[in-house]
Parts: sequence; structure tokens; C-alpha cells
Amino acid sequence: MDQNSEGKNKTYYSRLFRRFILLTMICSLIPLLLAGWAINKHYSAFAKERILKTLQTRVDYHRKIIELFLKENKNRLDFIARTNSIEFLIKNDRLTHILNSINHDDWTLTDIGIIDEKGDHLSYVGPYDLIDKNYSDTFWFREVMEKGSYTSDMFMGFRKEPHFIMAVTKKEDGRRYILRATINTDSFRSIVENVRIGKTGGIYILNNKGVYQTSPGSDGKIMALASGFEGKTHDDVKFRFLEIFERNVMVKKIVCETWLKDPNWLMVVRVDENELFGEVRRANRATMISLHVSALIILLVTALITGHMVSVIRKRDHEVEDMNRQLMQAGKLASIGELSAGVAHEINNPLAIIMTEHQLLLDAEKRTPISDVSFGKQFAGSLNQIGIQVRRCTHITRNLMKFARRTRSVIETVDINLFLREVIDLMEREAKSEGIKFKSVLDGSLPSILSDPSQLQQVLLNFINNAIDAHEDKGSGIIMISTCLAKDKTGISIIVEDTGKGIKDQDIGKIFDPFFTTKAPGRGTGLGLSICYSIVKQLGGNIQVESEIGKGTRFALTFPFEPPEDFMKNGPV
Amino acid sequence: MIGSKILLVDDEKIFADNMAKLLRSRQYKVTAVYDGESAIKELEKENFDVVVLDLKMPGMNGITTLKEIKKMGLFTETLLLTGHGSIDAAVVAIRMGAYDFLNKPCEIDDLVEKIEGAWRKKDDAWKKDLEEKLKRVVESPSDVFKLFD
Repeated sequence: MDQNSEGKNKTYYSRLFRRFILLTMICSLIPLLLAGWAINKHYSAFAKERILKTLQTRVDYHRKIIELFLKENKNRLDFIARTNSIEFLIKNDRLTHILNSINHDDWTLTDIGIIDEKGDHLSYVGPYDLIDKNYSDTFWFREVMEKGSYTSDMFMGFRKEPHFIMAVTKKEDGRRYILRATINTDSFRSIVENVRIGKTGGIYILNNKGVYQTSPGSDGKIMALASGFEGKTHDDVKFRFLEIFERNVMVKKIVCETWLKDPNWLMVVRVDENELFGEVRRANRATMISLHVSALIILLVTALITGHMVSVIRKRDHEVEDMNRQLMQAGKLASIGELSAGVAHEINNPLAIIMTEHQLLLDAEKRTPISDVSFGKQFAGSLNQIGIQVRRCTHITRNLMKFARRTRSVIETVDINLFLREVIDLMEREAKSEGIKFKSVLDGSLPSILSDPSQLQQVLLNFINNAIDAHEDKGSGIIMISTCLAKDKTGISIIVEDTGKGIKDQDIGKIFDPFFTTKAPGRGTGLGLSICYSIVKQLGGNIQVESEIGKGTRFALTFPFEPPEDFMKNGPV
Repeated sequence: MIGSKILLVDDEKIFADNMAKLLRSRQYKVTAVYDGESAIKELEKENFDVVVLDLKMPGMNGITTLKEIKKMGLFTETLLLTGHGSIDAAVVAIRMGAYDFLNKPCEIDDLVEKIEGAWRKKDDAWKKDLEEKLKRVVESPSDVFKLFD
């Protein structure tokens, strides 16, 4: 095969490789990745929704707890006001007793006091000095006198610190009194903040004007106005998604808002989105990694398998090509064989006639004396030459016939090494006169093979003759003959190597063609190697040639341990 | 054997005639014919010691002619001329009772040698047969007429 077609084949096989890979990717990788991505996306959406739902439930539940806390305290005040007379309550130790009882488990109330309709304290129990304060001008006093019960927003009041109060009114003997208590800010805060929503989750309360009722942590201060407050009330729990800068990093936050009923406060829960969805993200990442690793493995395995397959196909193609070439060679030999046999046969008859005519002339010459001496000489010489040339023609036609149809073969056990030694002995004398030495490296452990010794001899003599002829211009050289077990161990190999002139690249494909010769006209018929080729093929063997101009040629002949079955049965075809 | 009668059968007329001339100059009595049918006719007319038969002929080829000759049960030996391509056929012919074969083109001396061999074989067979017949005549003299069958 020349380099050009080798190159073409290389691109053909690499194209085949790429096409296989592309096909596998289209058929397996793309669906896998698409399905993986879709499932992953669907799963994360589902999981996020579940997480938000859970958050919503928890926030709603927490709102109810705060509402319950506020309602419980208001009910307490109401209960105290209803069940006790003012006269009884204003006794200082009574209120103290009530405050202590309420604060028995938790410190729920900071202080408690009774105020008359003019706004003056009748009685007060608590840590502040408020007994002589008048509340008639305060907003909450007006609200409670108007509504009968009231829960205030956070305010500073006389004590100058943020707090909120609850108050209820009581009518007794045509007069109105107010029972007022301050909810312990710490206690309220602990109830509000007593919910864990992740490490970064924060919770706070705003009133309906957007003022912080509890400390919002790093976002602001209690009693400060919250930025971006909208103030629209709603019944359910609502989510907002925010992107804010925190320590110069953009952070996504989920804000969960729900309105308390009494007082009309907004409970806000803020969670870091990363934390809330961390689990989903990790699961996502793990799925994506395993998906892409699988895809990569599939790609690698596909590449490996495809590479292997392409190399198998390449090898198979090579074999088929080889076989085709051999078939072509065999076909060529067969058709040439037929033709040459036909031609030889046709020439045979005229030759036979010429031979008889020659003999007749010889007979006549003996009987008839020729008086002219020089003519006699000429006549005798010509007759002799005719005889020689006719015999030469006969020899050629005989060879052609042999090529087309050889004598019946005899299959015998042949010890190849012994056989080669005999052949080398036979040729050594001729080689010596040409200045050529023989070297032989024979593998003594080779088993005998079944073959036709006479045909083998014909083949080997031919190769050795050619090897000797190859040294014609050099005048000296070495012919190396070696034997070994065939590569596939199904037979033996005979290698004939010479140091002759070599075969040109463009000739190497033609050397087994009948009538192809590079020898001078009259020196070679061009049949030797093609006869050898057909003999070797019939014996089930093979011939490989390697040659380098100026350095020599190497013929490797392989023969099976036994010739093919049809050869054993029928002999040469 | 000088004077042996040879029937030469070859479709190549010039070859047959030349061979006939060459053999005649070597003291053989030669009749040359150019096809199988004529050969059979000649054999019906007279006895020949050796038949030299070309294998490849149009019409009746060498093998068919040989079969016919064998059917006739004559004391005659057959020598086949073949091209190299028809050695297998020659082998078949020998199995059928031909004496030998010779590759064409052939040297006259080789042909003469084979003809001599064939003649000796024919002669031996003829003598043996005659001896047997004589023995039988001695054993039963009434069979004497069978000698001339």
C-alpha cells in the first residue's frame, strides 16, 4: 500500500472514530444530561417549595404564640379588674401580691398600677418612681378611656426607655378607673426571639407605622423607623426575596412577613437564602457532580471502546484488502496460466513439426554429400542452431505448461532444516563462483511439516537463484537463510535474505505477476516467482517481501504444518 | 525391430508425414492417418505392431480411439503423444492399457526407443499367447483350428 492511501485511510478511520463518538454522545450523553438536569431542576424547585412551606408554617405558629402571650396578659388584667374592688386593689400590698403572683414563674410584667379618671396614680408597684405622675395627656390614656382596653406600641414615656403597656378600664360607683401594666420588654423579646430559624435567621416586630418594636439586630435599633416599609396588612404569611450588601458581599435574603391581630403589628423573619436552601444546594451539587462524572466516564469508556472497535475494523479491513490482493493475484495467475497454457499448446504443434523437419534435414544431410564445403559447413551450423533453438522453445513451452498445470504432487513429512541444508549444498557451488556466501540460522526445535518436497525445492531454488542474481552487480554478498516457528504458531517460517540490489518500490507489487522480470532479455522468463507464488498458496502458505534499494531483499515464506485439506485430497488445481 | 509395422495417428498432417518419413528411413513400415476413425479402419484391414496415437485430435480423440482399439482385442501396443498440458490424460490412457506416453515435441531417437519398447512388449504378449494356444492344442488336438482364429 502506498503512503498516500495509508494517509487517506488514517483520516477515514479518525473520521469514523469521531462519528462514533458523536453518535454515542447524541444517543446517550445528551439524553442523560438533559434528563439529569431536568430532574435536578424539578427536585430543587420541589424541595425549595417544601422548605418555604415549612418556614411559613413555623412563622405562622410563632405569630400565634406571640398573639397568645399578649392576649393572656390582657385577659389577666381584665380578670383582676373584674374580680377585685378598687378599694381592695389600691392597698399597696395587694398589687404587690398580684404582681408577685403573675411573675412567679416568668418575669412577665415590669410594673402594675391603678389610675383614676383624672390620670393620677392611685397605686403603683414597680421599679420606677411613677406614683405621682399624671397620665391625662398621654396618648395611651386617651385611647384606653375611649376603647376600654388597649395595648400600646413601644414608647419611651416617663421612664425614658422603650416599653409598651396594656391597660383595661373598670367602672365602680359611677367612676372609671384604669388598671395598667407594663410588659417586661426582655420577657417579650425572649418570647418573640424564641424561635430558631438557622444560624443567620433574625426575627423582629414592626408596628403599623414601620417602627421597630423589638431590636432587629444589625439592621437597625428599637424604636427606629424601618426603611422601605409598605404597611399593607394581609392575613397570611408572605415572602419577599431581597438582595442586600452585607460586609461588602451581596447576600440573598428571604423575608417572611405576617401581621398580628391585636395589636396590629408586623412580625418579620429574615433568613439567609444560602442557609435555608443549603441542603438543597448541596444535594444539587452532589447530583450534578455525579451526573457529570458519569457523563465523563461514559465518554471515556465510549472513546476506549470506539478506539478498540475502530482498530478491529481497521485490522479487518486490512485483512480483507490483503485477501483481495491475494485473490486478484491468484485470479491473475489463473487467467495468465490459462492463456499461457493455450499459447504453449498451440506453439507445441508447430515446434513438433519444426523438430521433425530438422531431423529430416539431418537425415538427408547424412545421406547426401554436399560438394561445396563452405555451404556444407554453413548448412550444418544452421541445422545445429535450429536444433538448439527449437529445444530452447520447447523448454519455454514446457515451463509455461508447468506454470498452468504441474505434475501430481506427493505429500511427505519434510524436516525443513534437513531439507534446507540439502538445498543450500546444491546451490553453494554456484554461489561460490559468484562470490556469494551462505549463512544459515536454523531453529533445531522445529517440528517436521507435511508438504510436497519437490515443489518446496522448486520454490526454494527459485528464491535462492533470485538472491544470487540480485548480487550480479556487486560481485559478492551474503545470503542468509533462517527458519523459525511462524508468528501465529500454526506453521513454520523460512526467511531468505540477501544483500543484493533490492527491489524498487514501484516494482514490489508486480514481482509475483507472470512475465514480470527485471533481468536482461533472454535471461529470465518472469515466471519463476509467479510459479513460486502459486505453489506456496497451494501448499497453504504465504509470502511476504521487504526490500530496500541497495541493501537487499527479505522474503519470508510461511508454510502450515499441514497443507490445506482440498490440496491433500485433489493435489494441485 | 526392423520391419515393424507402425500406425501413426496425428491430426497435424505435416507432423504425421514427417514422422512417417523419419521412421521409414529407420526401416519401419509406417502408415500415417490423420484421425481416429481412419486409424480404426486401418486396424480392421491389417495388423500393426505399434500404434503411435496423438491424444488431442478433433472428432475421435486419442482416449476414445484407444478404447476402440482395446475393444478390438488386437496384439498391438499403443504409444501416446501428448502436449505437456495433457499428462493427466496420458496417465489415464496408461491405466487403460496404453504402453507409454511421450511429450510433444519429441526427439526422433526418443520415439524410436519407446517404439522398440512397445514392440518388445507386444511381441512378448503375442508369444505368450501363442505358447498357451499351442499348449492347449497339445492337450486337445481338436483345437488346432482355433490357432488361426
